[in-house]
Formats: sequence, C-alpha cells, structure tokens
Amino acid sequence: MWKNSSLRCLLALAVLCLRSLMYSQEIGSPGDPQNLKCVTHNLHKMLCTWDVSSRGKHGQTDFCYTTNDLTPQVCFKTKERRVEIPIPESSITVTIKSSGTAFATREFVIHQKDISFVPVTPHILSLMPDFPTSTLNLKWSDNGSVFPYGLDALWQIQILRKEAMEVVKQVSYYSKLTHEDVILSWNWTSDMPLECTSHYVKIRCYINATQFVGPKDWSDWSPAEVIPGKDTEPGGSGVFPLDPVVAVGSDLMFCCVHEEDQRITNMTYGSKSYTMMQLSRRSHAIRVLNASVSNTSGTNVVCRLENGLEGSVVFVGYAPDSPQNLSCETPNFLIIKCTWEPGRPSGLYGERRTKYSLFERTSGKNVSCEVNEVSRDHVCGFPVLPDQKTYDFILGVSNPIGQAQSSLLVDITQRVHPKAPEKLTVTGSNSTSIQLRWFINGSFAETRLLCQIEISSSHSERKLHNVSIPGRKSSTYTAQLNALHPDTKYQLRVRCSSADHFWRWSDWSRGVEQTTSEAPPARGPDIWRERSPSGESLIVFWKPLSLSETHGKIVSHEVSCYMLERLLERKVVSEPSNSTEIKLGKSDCVISVVARNHAGSSPPSRITSVELPSDNVTTDQAVAMGNGINISWDSYPNMTCGYIVKWCHSSGSEPCSVDWQKFPSNTTNAVIKSALFKPGVRYNFSLYGCKSMGYQLLKNITGYMKELPPKTAPNFIVEETSSDSILVKWEDIPIEECRGFLKGYLLSFAKGEKDALKPRLSESGNPELKVNNITDLTKKSMKILDLQGKTSYQLELQAYTAGGLSPPNSLYVVTKEDSVGLIIAILIPVAVVVLLGVLASIFCYRKREWIKETFYPEIPNPENSKALQFQRNICEGNKTLKTLEMNPCTPNSVEVVETQSTAPKIEDTEMMSPAAETIVPEDGSDSEMENHVVVSYCPPIIEEEISNPPTDQPGGSSQVVYIDIQSMYQPQIKPEEEPEIDLVTTAGYKPQMQLSINALKIEGHSPVEEELDKTAGYRPQANTNTWNMGTPDSPGSVESNNENASFGSPCSINSRQFLLPPKDDEDSPKPINTGWSFTHFFQNKPND
Amino acid sequence: MAAAGSPSAALRRRDLCSRGIRLAGKMRADVVDLLDAYVSLPCSLCLPRGWEHRWDLGSCAGMLEEQREQLGEADAGLGRALAAVLLQVSAFAYHLEELLRLESRGIPGEEGDEEEDGPPPPPRLSHFERKLRGLGVLRELAQWAVRSVRDLRQLAKPSPATGAWPPAHGCSFCPA
Repeated sequence: MWKNSSLRCLLALAVLCLRSLMYSQEIGSPGDPQNLKCVTHNLHKMLCTWDVSSRGKHGQTDFCYTTNDLTPQVCFKTKERRVEIPIPESSITVTIKSSGTAFATREFVIHQKDISFVPVTPHILSLMPDFPTSTLNLKWSDNGSVFPYGLDALWQIQILRKEAMEVVKQVSYYSKLTHEDVILSWNWTSDMPLECTSHYVKIRCYINATQFVGPKDWSDWSPAEVIPGKDTEPGGSGVFPLDPVVAVGSDLMFCCVHEEDQRITNMTYGSKSYTMMQLSRRSHAIRVLNASVSNTSGTNVVCRLENGLEGSVVFVGYAPDSPQNLSCETPNFLIIKCTWEPGRPSGLYGERRTKYSLFERTSGKNVSCEVNEVSRDHVCGFPVLPDQKTYDFILGVSNPIGQAQSSLLVDITQRVHPKAPEKLTVTGSNSTSIQLRWFINGSFAETRLLCQIEISSSHSERKLHNVSIPGRKSSTYTAQLNALHPDTKYQLRVRCSSADHFWRWSDWSRGVEQTTSEAPPARGPDIWRERSPSGESLIVFWKPLSLSETHGKIVSHEVSCYMLERLLERKVVSEPSNSTEIKLGKSDCVISVVARNHAGSSPPSRITSVELPSDNVTTDQAVAMGNGINISWDSYPNMTCGYIVKWCHSSGSEPCSVDWQKFPSNTTNAVIKSALFKPGVRYNFSLYGCKSMGYQLLKNITGYMKELPPKTAPNFIVEETSSDSILVKWEDIPIEECRGFLKGYLLSFAKGEKDALKPRLSESGNPELKVNNITDLTKKSMKILDLQGKTSYQLELQAYTAGGLSPPNSLYVVTKEDSVGLIIAILIPVAVVVLLGVLASIFCYRKREWIKETFYPEIPNPENSKALQFQRNICEGNKTLKTLEMNPCTPNSVEVVETQSTAPKIEDTEMMSPAAETIVPEDGSDSEMENHVVVSYCPPIIEEEISNPPTDQPGGSSQVVYIDIQSMYQPQIKPEEEPEIDLVTTAGYKPQMQLSINALKIEGHSPVEEELDKTAGYRPQANTNTWNMGTPDSPGSVESNNENASFGSPCSINSRQFLLPPKDDEDSPKPINTGWSFTHFFQNKPND
Repeated sequence: MAAAGSPSAALRRRDLCSRGIRLAGKMRADVVDLLDAYVSLPCSLCLPRGWEHRWDLGSCAGMLEEQREQLGEADAGLGRALAAVLLQVSAFAYHLEELLRLESRGIPGEEGDEEEDGPPPPPRLSHFERKLRGLGVLRELAQWAVRSVRDLRQLAKPSPATGAWPPAHGCSFCPA
C-alpha cells in the first residue's frame, strides 16, 4: 500500500517536471513577447521565433541569452522576431526586451527537449524522363555535410500525375548521411507513358538524429518538379509509347494525345477496341492486360480521330532463352565453329531480333555472330588463335527484352571435326588392290588423322578400312586397299577424323568407282558324269562357278578324257553350255574339266567315268523340310571318297537338267536345297557312293520339298447297295496330283438328300457324320454297314497326304427298301380291318330285327301306281336328259296327283321337306345348278321295277327315293354308260363295301357279274349304283344324270359312305352342307 | 535508234506499249494481292500528314525495300511478294524509259537529277508511319498501274501525228 502511494507521488512529480521542461518557461506579465519557439534544421543552431503584441511589432528588440550562470549573457538587438542561436547542451535562458512598449521584458528558459528538429526541405537537383522506357530519374542532394556522420535519413518521394496532381505513387528511400553532401538518385518506371500526361515529383526527408532529444519531424515537401506530357505541348499528338518492345504477358497502357478540338472515336489494340480513360482534355488512354506475342510486323495500336489517325506499333516477344548445348569444334584448325540451340523463339524480328556474340575470356576477343533467325542455323565462327589450345567461350544473347548467356571451356585439339575429304581419285589398281588419293583442307600438322575407307561392291557386304595418317597442312593423303576380288566393281569413299582424340567423323567424300582387273578362276568347276542310255557315250556336267570364283568372265570350259595319263579326247565348250558328250564306247576314262576366262585357266576338276555295279537298289522316301528335302542314308564304310546325291530338275517340256551335290564320307544325312524345287512336286534322287575305283549307285530316294494336299479327290463309285450297306470302290490318284506321299483316305457318310446348296459333309457339322479312315493304301474298296433301308446317304471320299486333305468327291446313294418291314406294315392294318368287319357283321346279324324295325319299317308299296309307272317311263325315256333338264318332269308329277292316290302324298312329303325348300335354286341356271344342292322330286323308282320290268309288277314297292344330284364320286361314269347302270339289280343282300368298287369298276362289269349281283341274297332297299358317295349338293350330281339316283336306306351300311366320304380324293369339290344327311336320314320315315 | 516517226519506230512503240500494258496489269494484280496481305487500315486515312509529295518510281521502290527490311526474314511470304513487286516496278520503269527514249523524250528522273542536288533525307518515321506509308505506296502503285495501262493504250493507238503523247491524266511518269 505504501509502495503504491509513493509510486503515484513520484509519477505525478515527473509529469509536472516534464510539463515544465516541454514548454519554455514564460516569466513576465501578459502582453510581453510570448510563444517563443525554437526549431533546428541542422542540429547546430536553432531558429527561435516569438510573438509580440501589436504595439511592439515595429520596435527593436533586445535579445539576450545565456546557457548557464558561468557564461556571460549574449545580447543583441534585432528588428525581426526571429533569431538564430546555438543549441544549448542542456538549457538556455532567453531574455527578450521589446522596445516598442514600455520595455516589456520577458525571460524564457528553453531546454533542449523543447527544441524541434525539422530537416531542411530537400531540393531536387534534376528530374530526367526516359520516354521509351517511361522512366523518371530523380536526383537530389542529401545535404549531409551539415549533419553529423552516420545519421539515418529517410526520404519520401511522391509522384503525382495529371493536371489535378493526383498522387499515384509515394515511396520511401533510405540513406545514411556521411557528413558530406551526396547526390542521391532514384528511378521510377511509370505504368503510363510519360508522354500521356504531366508527371510531378516531390520529396521530403526525415533525419533520425537519435542523440537529439527534442521532437523530430519531416521536412517540408520540396517544390514539385514536372515532366510535362505531350498533351501540354501545342500541336503535340500521337499514340504513346511509340513502337515499344515489351515482354509477353506485360500489362500495357497506350495513350492517344490529340488536339483539344479533335474528338477521339476509338482506340484499338490489334483488332480489338478498348475502353478509353480520359487523362486530360487532350489525352485518352487504354490498358491492355497480359499482352500476347505479336506477329512479325508488330501489333498496331490505332487511335481514330474524327478527322485523322494516330498510331503506334508494339512488338511483344520473349526475352532470349539461355543457349542450350553450346558446342565448339574446328574443322581445320583455322576457325572454331560454335553451335547451339536457341530454345524458345523470341518472336522478335528485324532490328529487334535476338543478337548473339561470342566472347573468349582468355584472349578477351569478342565476335558478333550473324545468325539466320528463320533457318535457325545457329553457328558462330571464332578464329583459331596462335599458340592457344584452350578456349573459354561465353555466348552472349540479347534482344530488346532481355539477355542471357552460356559458357563453354574447350580444348580445340580434342574437338576436331574435319570437312569431307575432297578430290578422291584412284591412282592405280590391279586384280586385287586399289590405290586412293584425297585432299583435306586444313592445318592438321600437329595431329594425326584417322581416315576410314568404305568399300562396297555388288556381291559383297560393305566393308570399312581404317587408315591412320600423319596430318599435314592442306595436303593430299594416299592409301592402298589390298585383298580385293578380281574383276569386281568397287564403290569407294573416305571420311576422316582426328586420330589422337576422336571427336566426330567428317562427312563422307564423294564416291568413286573402280573395277579390278581379271584373274584366272579360283578353282575348277564342280563336275558329274552320266552314261548315256545307250552306254556308248558319257555326258559330262559341270556347275558354273560363283561370281567370287570366276575372277572374270568365263569364256569356255575345256573337257579332257585321259586313260592312264593318255589323252583320249579334248573338247572346248563355249559358255553358257554346262555339259558335253564324249564318245567313249564301253571303255572308261578320267574326265578333267577346267574353266577359262581372259586371264587364264582354273585348276582342273577330275572325275572317273567308272560306274560300279550295284544290287538291291531300294527306293526310299525323303522327308519334306519345307525349304528343302531331307535325305538320309546308312553309312557305307567302303565309300572312301564321299557320296553324291544326284537329281534332275524337270521344267515343263524341256529335258530335265541334272544337278548334284557332294558330301564327305562321314555324312549320312543331308538337306538338299535348290531354288528350283517347288512345293508339291515329286523329285527323284539317286545316292551314289564314291570309291577309289568309281561310283556306285546305292539307292534311289523320292521326296518333296513340301508336301501339299492332293490336288484332286479320288474317283469313286458305288458298287453295290443293299438295305443296310453300301459297297464303295475308288481309283488311285495320279502321282502328279498327289503332291505328297499319300497317307490314306477318309470316307465320310451321313444321311442326306441331294441338295446343291448343301455344304460339304465335313463342314456341315452333321452329328450323324461317320468317318472311316483308310490307311491301307492297297485297299481300293470298302463296305459301309449298318445303314437304314430306303434312306438317302451322302458319301464323301478324300485322300490325304502330310500336306492335308484333298477336296472331297461326293455321291448320294439311297439304300434299298426293307421288304419284311413293309410287309408287316401292310398286314397289320389289313388284319385290323378284317377283324372289325367280322365283328360288325356279327353285330348286324344278331341285331338284324331291331335294325329293320328301327331303320327299315314296312312302307306301302307304290308298285301299283300307274302314274308312277308312267312317270318312270317318262324318266326312262329321257335317260339322256341331264339333271338340269328335270323340270319337264314336274308337270307330269302334277298329273300324278290327279291320277294316283299315293303319289301326291309322296310328292307333298318331298316338296315340304326342308331340304327341298332350301336347296332348290332360284334362277335355275346351269352353272348354279352345278353349285347347289338340288333335291328335286322325281317319280318314285322302285328297285323291284329296275330288277323286274314294270309291266311285270305294276303294284311294286312303295319305296321313296331321294334324288341327290352329285358327281363327287361318279365322274368316271359317263352318260353313255348309264344304261348299264340301270341294268344293275339291287336284289338280295349286297355288302356296302361293294359300293365303291361297283361304282368305280362299273365299266368292267361283266354280264355274269351283274347277274350274280341280281341274284345275290339279302339286299338293302337301295340301288347301290345310284347312291352318291358325295354330298347331295355336290355339283357332280348334275352330271351324273342318273334318274335312278337315290339315297341309300339309312339302315344300310352304305350310309357310312355318305357320312364319311373318302379322303383320298381331295381334288373333288368339298361338300357344302355336311348336315344334310341327318336331315334326310329321317325324311323317309312316315309321320316323323 | 530509229526515228520516232518511222514505221519501224511505230511498230516498236506498239510492241513496247502492249508489253507495258501486260506488265502493268500483272503488277496491279500482284499489288492488290499484297494489299490484302498487308495491314488492314481505313483506306482514306492511310497516308500520314506531310506525305502528299509527288510520287516517283524511286521513292516507291525505296519504301518497299524499307518495308521488306523491317520484316527481315521472318515473314518469307510477304517478303517474297514485296521483292516480286519491287522487281516488277523496276522492270516497268525500265520499260517506260525505253519508251521515252524511243519517243526522244527526256527521262523525268534523270532530268530532275541534273537540276537538283537530290531529295532531302526523309525524316525519321515511326513504325506506324512507315506501315502507313508502305500501304500508301502500294495503293498508289495499284492506281498508278491502272493509269499507266490507260495511257499506254492511248499511246498504242495509231494517231495521225505519230508519236504524239496522249493527255497526261496526271500520270506520274509523264513529263510535266
């Protein structure tokens, strides 16, 4: 607590002391000089000012001051109210006595802390504009000589723009005072071209005098220096900046300065119009952000005025990249060529292009480089300096936007890249060597050259021959090439490099050609001989030497025949023949053959004509290798001088040309290759063994270079067919069509009908396909078993070799029918039918009374009706009438009503029958009659009358006959045959089964048979001959014209045929009304 | 040299005129193509202030050459087209000089050279002004080619007073 109160007392005391120190202590009465203020500008002297009342303003003032009691008071008179006095170390007592009034005296005590420090206002020495870069350079003096050394000075610079002097930038600048007047400089780049409008600059400072205890303050601002814009110049106009070169991505400002009375229309950068900002009455500006690369002729900035045009061209590009892969080499020790990759193109051309210079640090020599910007061929030459091997290069790159550099330290002796040798010539040659000479320009005296000679010819691979040669100054060099082939055209060229430190080969020189001269052939030709078929002469064959062995053009071969060193015959055979015949008779000799060219003869090749006898010569098969034929044989120990495989090439009609190949005696296997071998062609080889005495045929071999599928399918036939087997026979395929060794046959078969579009069996994917592989080539037939009877089979036969399957040959065969099965198939249904017939007969027989009661009740016999007889006669008299002509019968029937008692009833019944009402055609036309059911009345016909003449039984039966006119089942019955039908009697029983048979075979009925029919036992009450098998409305019924046609009795089994007409005659017209039979079924029942 | 009034001179003149017409036609076509490839600026304002002095072949060629140099090797197509036009201008100038000699007329350039010390050095122009001037030269060349064709056709017509010049029509190569 105590502590707090004492602390507060101390603090209050300190505040009071400070207040008394901060302000000059005024002693005196009011109205005297007052408000004494002292300010220092240089820390040495201070300027004190005071105020006085109006009364003392014009009087003289006595001013005295003393720093302490020991120093005497300094007094002087002044008319101004400001004095400059030294700054006291601690305090100063000032006495001011104003004489204007009654000697008003005032005493002030000024402490150091009461003195303000305000530096002198800075003075701008110069303000220089750089218009192309829009940069201002400000220079001023720091006035440091008046201040102690080492004070920190802070400068504040203000940039103002436009007439209104808007502050656009204020920056601080720091410096240290050195007790000397130093001129300071500061640059500022404006974002707006300086021409656009006026720019002003002001400056002030603050000096941080730490020892000075009084208040410190900024100096006043200096007077503004101005850089006037073009808009202040009378007549000044244009677009600014003028033709600038700027970096890509820069933000640009362009202004258009024009006359005051001109109105600006628009401003464009490139093709785009920009919004304008007004800078002054005569200046407008646009701002372009992130400028992109301009085209080669620059981007136009155009200011369109009402009556004019101003513009500028801006070039936007990149600063140069640092050169990459700088490399220097000398082609001749006279000049050093440096190359580099420039990197990204600057986009600047013409006078703004990127410029290169090569500076060598050791020598201090600088070379500017002419670089083709478009072809981008960046090469710069630097002269080789005497006695200098190591060069320290700096490649400088610059353009208006920037610069870069790249350096390289290089030992030029290790970077030798000679130019291509010149003047390459052949100075001499023979059959195996060539001398060359060439020239290299350059000073290679202190180095060795490594030169490479490329040798190439048409029949050998390219070869390189290196030669190391001591270098000379711009000299020719020679080299000799040995071990060349005679009579060969060589192409030669040379390139060189430094042998001591290989760096790079020169380019190849121009090529030269030289042909070596001829030499005798290197060896004798490869020979073989064969006895002629007659054995009287010997044919000698030789193979042409290879190009590398001929050593020149072969002109002839000399064939000699020696017997015990005695020349028997000599023949000279000119090229291109490769065989000759020597008449030797049965004797033998040693054949010698030499090849000759213009330079001489080859060593002789010899062969004996002796052919040793051989027995058991077998023929084997060789293996096709695809590219050759593999032949193998057993080792024959007594064949001391090897083996010969001989074969013959046959090409078309020409005689076959003999070829052979020799093998050493330890060989038992060889792949014979020849460009003449063709796939699928059979070749025959003969293996000969060589003994000292002569040659012996060991075996024959056939083979293919490559086996192919047989060209054609084997021809085959079906020799025999049964219900379950087929015997197939085939023929051999001709050898030339086999195209390989035949391995077997594939016989495929499956069920199938002949169909042109059907695929091959083997490709059909038929699951029932069966394939028989016949590998026994001697077998020429095969029986296929387990087949189905009466079935069509497709057979295919293919032959195959190791090369594949031949195309198939196809046949279709139908096996024979299986007779047992057929018989069974027929017998079973017949037996069933017979059985059913028997059962039906038994049933009918047993129930005959009931059937009769039900279906055939007794009905009156209309036999006695004369009308009916008349009617019958009428009808009989008109046997030839068609059904359509039945109308004349109707009036007669009317007449029957008047004369016959029974007839009208029958007639009414018939007329009233529903069938009659509905079926009679309305128009009565012939055609329609054919298509409609016609049930018309006809005088009753009594079977008994038919069987017995009407005269015999006038009171015949009373049977009613319904006539149905149809011909469905009677088309065979012609009108002229109808009389015979009438003759058919219906007496006695007649099985219904006979109906159709009778109807169909009616023509064949013999009188005996008819008689039998008449006399047969029980017969239903129907004339079966008149029963229609079809429907009553069948059109055929018209044609039948059968006046006796009648429905069978419903109880008759014949009725089955009405209900179920035969199906097999589908061509017949279909019944139109299937319900009729039931209608008529009961119509004949009385009172139904 | 044949006299201006002789029949061979008339033939020669006709030949020179017809070839000159073809040359001027080709030159105009090429210049029009070049104008399409050049900067696109409003035609009526294409000439900067103070550029209304009299044209001649030399100044045309000089300005075209200046443009070609400005482009450097960068724009090979435009550079080649400018070079081709330059060649045609000089060929046409030579052609006209031949014609003037045939007519025993003085060549304007040569006369001028005798009289004057040479044109004052051109003021340093900005890129924009040079572009404008190049464009103006091309336009002037195109118009001048048209006028030349017309004049040469007039000249090629056989007239009673052989060798009489048609009215100048302000053609730049005609003597004042």
